[in-house]
Formats: sequence, structure tokens, C-alpha cells
Amino acid sequence: MKGAAVSRWGVARKRLVYGLFGAGVLVLAGFMINQALNTSLVYFILPNEYAQQPSQYEDRRIRLGGLVAPESVRFDDLDLQLTFLVTDGIESYPVQHVGAPPELFRENAGVVIEGRFDEGVFVSDNLLIKHSEVYEAPADGHIDIEALRESLQ
Amino acid sequence: MNGEARRTHAEAHRDISAQEEKLMIDASERLRRPAWLRVWGVALVPLFLAAAYLGLVWSPQDVNQGNLIRIMYAHVSVAWIGFLAVGLTALFGALFLWRGKRRDDVWAVASAEMALLFSALTIIGGMTYSRPTLNTFWTWDAKLTLTALMVALLVGYFIVRALIDDPVRRGRVSAVVAIIVAASLPFNYLAAEWFRTLHPQRAIALDGSGVTMAPEMLFTLLFNTVVAGLVYAWLMVERARLGRIEAQLEAERAERELAPAASTGGVVRV
Repeated sequence: MKGAAVSRWGVARKRLVYGLFGAGVLVLAGFMINQALNTSLVYFILPNEYAQQPSQYEDRRIRLGGLVAPESVRFDDLDLQLTFLVTDGIESYPVQHVGAPPELFRENAGVVIEGRFDEGVFVSDNLLIKHSEVYEAPADGHIDIEALRESLQ
Repeated sequence: MNGEARRTHAEAHRDISAQEEKLMIDASERLRRPAWLRVWGVALVPLFLAAAYLGLVWSPQDVNQGNLIRIMYAHVSVAWIGFLAVGLTALFGALFLWRGKRRDDVWAVASAEMALLFSALTIIGGMTYSRPTLNTFWTWDAKLTLTALMVALLVGYFIVRALIDDPVRRGRVSAVVAIIVAASLPFNYLAAEWFRTLHPQRAIALDGSGVTMAPEMLFTLLFNTVVAGLVYAWLMVERARLGRIEAQLEAERAERELAPAASTGGVVRV
């Protein structure tokens, strides 16, 4: 702007502009990431969250997350009908799923199911496993259900 | 040592053709991998085999996952090193923005290529691991979405570089991209803790609140991580070496185009 000669002041001003621009971009990116994560990334809801406002999720495809309730699993291997109760320790709902149970599917396993409610039964078309962050050798044997439950929060 | 002698030798010759010849010799000399880098590269082979042995044979099975736990060692170690590579790319980029040395940009590119490689491998390994354990190749939870975003931005990094001819502007703009990618790292790292995800949470808490992993598994994972880190560093050093030669040739070409008649000046060193 002041001809060809670049003064010290010019360089400093350029740096300032670049710095401010960079900081602005960073703030904007952080804000956008935060927004995206807050609004659209409630990946699944818990049974008790559904129970509080069932009307909000009516006729909507949702993801429901919870543990497979003990002694609730029935699997008919002729027509691949899998039924079980999904629970978060507060509320539980019956789940219907067509398809073989995944390898890590078992009682007290964390699951995320995709589908919708039909007269109190969750009809799932996608059964995903949410396993905990505990990795141990089989010799130990026991599974910490509290830790599994916490992993859902 | 040897380089010093050659430099003074070059300065003695003002003849252009001799200088060109000198440059070619210089280039082929520089292309040769230094001994320490060769030793490092060869040492990586047994280290890699040892890491594979620990993961595939030595580690116990997991109580829930059985043998599938073995995929975790490759997936998690590569993911961590991918994070490190992104962080170092941003660091070198920030250094370039700060002091403008071409050398910093060369290191940034070298690290960025490895960041892209390791993040892509993270996703491939993650899909391999996730299909038999979580029952899906992919889902758009916070952690996976952020990782996909990271890979996309790293691809963008190289697109941006390819579009800009001026080395200084190229280095600056891509450095800003690298810093933005790095800004997503803490979100990605803590995604499973901050948000509900399908991706499992961390088994190793850096705040000291504990490790939820059997000691043999932890050792295997850390060993694999160290080897992955050494592979990353080796590839990066090698890439930076080539990058320096590239930058030198680019600078010489630019100089020749600007002043074809007066190209008697010294070798541009980066």
C-alpha cells in the first residue's frame, strides 16, 4: 500500500492480520465442531430417556443403547428371530430383531440397536455391540457389570 | 565434514557447466541414504516381527473378544501414532509460520504424508476390528466422524499444496490447515468420554486413574506403539531427506528461470 518498500511496520501489520485471521479460523472451527457434536451426535438414547418422552420419538427411527438383560434372550434359529430386553437399570424394553446375534452378543453385553418402537416393542434392523474398555485374560473370569453400565453414560 | 570440503570446491568453480555437473554429483550423493538411517531401517524389521509376535501369539486372548483382541494392537498403536503425526505436522507448520524456514515446511510435509497414511490405516484397521466385534464396519458416531473429518482435512492439506505454486504461501496456507486438523485431536481423543459413541472408551487414562487392561495386553500394546512410532519416524526422516532435495531443486529452478544469464551464484541450500 505504501509502494514497493515494505516497512517494519508493514511486516508487523501483515503478521497481525495473519495471526488474527488464523485465530478467527480456529475459533470458528472449534465452535462448529462443538455445535456439531452437541446437536447431532447424541449417538443413542437410553431406555429411561425414551420413557420420559415417548411422544418425542414417535414414528422416528432412533438408536437405543443399553445392556442385554440377563435371562431375557430368546433366539429362534429357524426364522432368525432374536428377542431380548434392553435395560439401563432403570427402564427396560423388549426388543425384536431379525438376524443372528453378533459374536459378542450375550447377557449383560452393551448394545446399540437401530429401529423404531411399535406398540411398546422396539423393532430393530441393526444390532450393534458396545463393549466396555475393559480388556482382560479369561482366567479372571468375572465381568464387572457396574463398569459396563458406566460405559453407557 | 565431507560436505564442507565439497562446498569450498564448488565455490572455486565459476564455470556454469562445471557447476551443473557438480550439482548432479551433489544430488546423487545426497540421494544416498546415510548409514545411520540404513541401520535404523534394517533394525525395524526384527522389531516389527517382534511386535507382530507379541500381538498375534504371545498376548493372551480377551475374556470377551477371544482372538479378536489381537487386531486391537495394530489398530490402537497406529491410531496413536497417527495422532502424533498430525500433532507434529501442526508443530512444524507453526514453526514455519513463525520463522519461515523452508526446512520446517519440508518436515511438515514429511509428517503430513505419514499422518495421512497412519490415519487411513487407522480407519482400515478399525473397520477390520469393528466388523466382528461391534457388528458393523462403520457408524457415524462422534469418534468415527471426527476421524473421517481428519482424513478428509489431511487430503485437503495436499490439495491445497498442489494448488499453490509460491513455496512460501504454500507452506503458510497448508500450515494453517495442519493446525486446524490438530485442533480436532483433543476432541477425537476424548470423544468416547465426552459423547456417547459406539467406539469403546480409552482403557488407558492419562490422568492416572487407571488402566483397564491386563498387564500382558498393555505391554503388547505399548511395544506395538513404540515400533509403530519408530516406523513413522523412519519414514518421516526419509521423506524429509527427499523433501530437502526437492526444495533445493525447486529453488534452483526458480533462480534459473528468473536470471538465466546470471546463474553463476552459489548452490541454494535449504
